[in-house]
Amino acid sequence: MRSQIYEWTNTAQNGTGFTLFRRSTDTSVALASGTETSIFIGGVGYNITKPAETTATQFVVIEDVSCTPDANTQLLNGGNTQIRINTTNYFQNPDVTQQTGIPGTASPYPRGYQNILKTFDLYPDIYVLPGQVWDVLYTQGDRTLVTATPADVVAVFVKYTLYDGPDALIANKLLELGITVNPNNVDWYKRTLIEQQSASMGGMA
Amino acid sequence: MAMRSQLYEWTATASIVDIQSSIFIGNTGNNITKPAETTATQFVVIEQVASSGSNPGGSATGTYTSTAGNAGLHMFAQVRINTTDYFLDPDNKPNDGIPGTASPYPRTLTLQPSFSLYPDIYVLPGQVWDVLVTQRGAANNAQAVQQCFVKYTLYDGPDALIANKLLELGISVSPANVDWYKRSLIQQQSAVVA
Repeated sequence: MRSQIYEWTNTAQNGTGFTLFRRSTDTSVALASGTETSIFIGGVGYNITKPAETTATQFVVIEDVSCTPDANTQLLNGGNTQIRINTTNYFQNPDVTQQTGIPGTASPYPRGYQNILKTFDLYPDIYVLPGQVWDVLYTQGDRTLVTATPADVVAVFVKYTLYDGPDALIANKLLELGITVNPNNVDWYKRTLIEQQSASMGGMA
Repeated sequence: MAMRSQLYEWTATASIVDIQSSIFIGNTGNNITKPAETTATQFVVIEQVASSGSNPGGSATGTYTSTAGNAGLHMFAQVRINTTDYFLDPDNKPNDGIPGTASPYPRTLTLQPSFSLYPDIYVLPGQVWDVLVTQRGAANNAQAVQQCFVKYTLYDGPDALIANKLLELGISVSPANVDWYKRSLIQQQSAVVA
């Protein structure tokens, strides 16, 4: 079980394209209002080499997603974040039509900046089952971001827990039982197994 | 003395811009005399890592901007066990670690944590561990301070043995679970005596 994080910013060398390595000289990459981009492989700002996916022995639980707020009154120029599992977007309108996901104003990153605090808590968490591809899509808000402009830097932050090997098996078992997958419940399941084993053997070694 | 809460605070005295520097033996800021390592009878659980925070967007100064003294820092802290970095991108490539923006030190009303280190990170007996910090922004304020804070629990002697046992059983190592294991042992012993 490992706690993992990913921070995306729309910054790259010379304010164009994407980068696989951060540098202090990176500047903002332009992003038009309403544009949707993957924070992993979208070709804008900090990216990784391939889509985020789980292997057959991995289980991912996404616990928090936040981004720069889009609050005109405070001169913040962020947007919204959507989570996609395989080809399905997680957040939908009540009429099952598409929406852009969590507003940065509801789940701000950084938290507290310009006195904007968290309104939205991602609970229940989002599960990425073994073999699935997942993505976080950022949609730029009302303001168009301009190249190499300090005020036009936006960010997305994702916190997730990666369960691997036996812990991934237990995570699957918990899912099957309808129990929330979190480190506490994985521990509880292990303790239950141990206590059952101890009881059948007449004591713990 | 068997379980002890410990902390380490580091403050930079030289530039760490685009350089990954150890907070223990990086030759900048306050350092210690040798790499951080556990002996054969010690077990360390790292519970919190935080570094100087700064804010993206919303200000007209700096590449990674803020209205506060740490404008433009964009600092990160990575945990390394032996030679392996703990925080990886989804493509399994080591990243710069926890952004100070997500886990700020110090915490303020306008800069609060988005991240809490859970599950914790274990340093097993005989392992070397380190915290590597880097700055990926250009600070635009002479008053900017680069700091890092680490909170960990040191299990020593019998408690380190129990910590190892818990790890073997696949149970989280925490003071509560070490206590639970001790209570289980005592209850079993009492049952046998009775």
